[in-house]
Amino acid sequence: MLLSGLEFGGTTALREVAQQREVDARPGTAPAVLGVRHLSKSFGPVTALRNVSLDISPGEIHGICGENGAGKSTLVKILTGVYRPDAGNIFVNSAVVSIATPRQAQEQGIAIVAQELSLCPDLSVEDNIWLGSLRVPFLHKRPELRRRAAEALNLLGAGYIALDAPVATLGMGERQLVEIARLLTRDARVLILDEPTATLTDVEIERIFAALLAVKREGRSVLYITHRLAEVYTICDRVTVLRNGELVATRSREELDRGMLIEMMLGRPSGEMYPQETPTHGASALHVEGLSLPGVVTDFAMNARSGEIVCIAGQVGSGAAEIVAALAGLVHDADGRVTLDGKPLKLGSAVRAAQRGIMYVSGDRAAEGVFRRLSVLHNLAATRLREFSLFGFLRGGALRAIASRIAHRIGIDRRRLRSRADELSGGNQQKLAFGRCLERRTGSVLLMNEPTRGIDVGARAEIYRLMRSFCEEGYTLVMASSDLEEILGVGDIIITLYRGRRVGRYARGEVTMHRIVADITHPMEPRA
Amino acid sequence: MSEQALSAGWRHAWRLSLPYSRRGRILFAIRAAAVLILIAAAVSTPGFFTAVSLFSLLNTTSFIGCVAIGMTFITLSGNIISFALGATLSTSGMVFMAALPLGLTAALLTAMAFGAAITGFQGAVIGYFRANPIIVSMAALALITGGATLITQGQGIYPQGDAAAALKGHIFGVPMPLAAFIATVVVVQVVLSFTRFGRQLYMVGSNWRAALASGLEPARIVLGAYVGAGLCTAVAGILMAARYSSGDLELGLGYDYSAISAVLVGGTSIVGGEGSAVRTLVGAFIIAICQVLLLLHGFSTQIQYLCIGVIVLFVIMVQTLAEGE
Repeated sequence: MLLSGLEFGGTTALREVAQQREVDARPGTAPAVLGVRHLSKSFGPVTALRNVSLDISPGEIHGICGENGAGKSTLVKILTGVYRPDAGNIFVNSAVVSIATPRQAQEQGIAIVAQELSLCPDLSVEDNIWLGSLRVPFLHKRPELRRRAAEALNLLGAGYIALDAPVATLGMGERQLVEIARLLTRDARVLILDEPTATLTDVEIERIFAALLAVKREGRSVLYITHRLAEVYTICDRVTVLRNGELVATRSREELDRGMLIEMMLGRPSGEMYPQETPTHGASALHVEGLSLPGVVTDFAMNARSGEIVCIAGQVGSGAAEIVAALAGLVHDADGRVTLDGKPLKLGSAVRAAQRGIMYVSGDRAAEGVFRRLSVLHNLAATRLREFSLFGFLRGGALRAIASRIAHRIGIDRRRLRSRADELSGGNQQKLAFGRCLERRTGSVLLMNEPTRGIDVGARAEIYRLMRSFCEEGYTLVMASSDLEEILGVGDIIITLYRGRRVGRYARGEVTMHRIVADITHPMEPRA
Repeated sequence: MSEQALSAGWRHAWRLSLPYSRRGRILFAIRAAAVLILIAAAVSTPGFFTAVSLFSLLNTTSFIGCVAIGMTFITLSGNIISFALGATLSTSGMVFMAALPLGLTAALLTAMAFGAAITGFQGAVIGYFRANPIIVSMAALALITGGATLITQGQGIYPQGDAAAALKGHIFGVPMPLAAFIATVVVVQVVLSFTRFGRQLYMVGSNWRAALASGLEPARIVLGAYVGAGLCTAVAGILMAARYSSGDLELGLGYDYSAISAVLVGGTSIVGGEGSAVRTLVGAFIIAICQVLLLLHGFSTQIQYLCIGVIVLFVIMVQTLAEGE
């Protein structure tokens, strides 16, 4: 590989030379609207960002890729005034600026479209666009503001959104468009989008992309942070890859193929993202018939054998997530005939499900996955307390030993056992959720709901490997996901779902991406 | 239990390692400075280190402290605070006094059972019905006060003879209330750090849904936390009733507020899942020391209340900063 000598084996000095050459060699670019030079930031012993330099040209969509912990969010937080850098400078239009608070960032024309949208759901679209704007005078002309809000929405191709509609009535994608319109009215010159598509459907994603291209045509720039490599190729002009807080390279889209991009992110050849399926399947373990969730799912049936991964594919809102949650006992009005190891299981109680060896890993780590305020040790020991206690007292040493072993198995540094879970990256937090399900009794069922949501490529690969080791331990795995590549990669059995009804069931290799997309978006007729 | 596990347990009780981040270090400095200022004020105040003032300090702290330890259970379980603990203190004191004719042991057990039962009932409602803990505690406050007034016709309960005299004395030279308080702290801290229930309590307080998904029964654990709170509060009620030789609804007036102040000043997180009994002990002492200092400098009770309010506000601000870490 051409890159390897320079980018991976090379010393820091070499890398700097390479970066410099690249900056110089870029032909015909206008002066950067936003630039950073030699930016560094550490948190105690952990270096989050080391000597990072990059430029964003006017009218450019600039992608930032990297695993969790690569320094993407630190960079964003420095640019938006949440963190101060330890060293290095920020340039706006070639002048050094100091960005100490989010408000100063706004004054410099740098604006972020937050992952957690900052809109007030009960106010109208128009009010939300102007809410908190420094440009609204105390005595303002309402028609003028209204006209400008409409202009901003029109520009984004979102003119169909009614200015008077309460934001609560809009979908997630439309809310993002409103948020972008809000930033446009504030004259943002650089828009930062941090994983904007994580919660959106395909149609919504396309609308966002169209809006970003419109922003670009206006001569404004976009800093686009994403895990999804496909999006890089759809929309970004140039891509900067970060790894372990250092800048690996900035490349234009044409110079970069997918394998190269993955290799740059991981620092090693991408290899097999999805491990091979386990050859042996056990007996039928989990059998579901006539499962109904009022208003969401109608008459769903499935059968899962131990040692295999069953994927339920469906778009957001199709009911796939709810099916998995119902099997975990988390939906109280679920109704259906479920048998586990030949014995019936009554739905509606998480405690009962857990007693039968059903475990649940959610993609929503903060809400139902991880004990964020507790230590890594406590998180890994969470499901084992009964096993490792004597007359109600915990056997601390034994718990520590098992937690340490599990930490090693899931690839978390044992020295971090005492760290709080929320000090870990998203991928590592998710590995904690998986870790607490490992090495439970054989014949357990592991239910997963979007298990890799918001997780980078490296941690994903590790989680897929973990899934296979669950299979080897004789678990039965059921996963709901809307990520089609993932479904095709890990699913031994794939069940497609459309609006709460099962469409098809396929074994591995029997089905193409095209078929699945057709099934979950507009099925022609129900299939066997 | 291995020594390693023990030391980890206590470290868990009171975070001793120095924080990494700049903000963490600043917060640490603020806390250390506050404690140092307090010590300096105590040393420079004439009369602080006299037997009388220390004795009264320890005694007052013991009553509030027991309630605060009970409150710690509730806060840790993620249920913020209870407004009913002051009334629970009063009524369990009254039950104790009423049951004294049955003998001291029987009276002790009855009062403890009473405290555990009425507080545990609130825990059951909160746990199994996911009711709002603050509303439940306010309803409980009204019910307890109303019920007690109805039964006693608003009169205090004065026992015949002095069967509770043993509770007014000393044990190994330590005043009884203080001994009971220290014992409560030790028992509760051991429960929190070394038992399964304790660990589960932290889990439920930290993330209810994740606890459910891990196979726990959060409702039962919340019930357990409230029973614990009731027991600790009953201990305070019994000791106070013994001290004043009467059971009266007025005894526990305002104790829930003092208790929650101690919990917060000690550094237990108001959103649950983080904190300890030892922290609450420290919090209770800090507040008591401030009160005694103000008293010795001749400030009125009103000023004392004002100062406690300022301290709690200050602590909440520092805690909130720490949360954003």
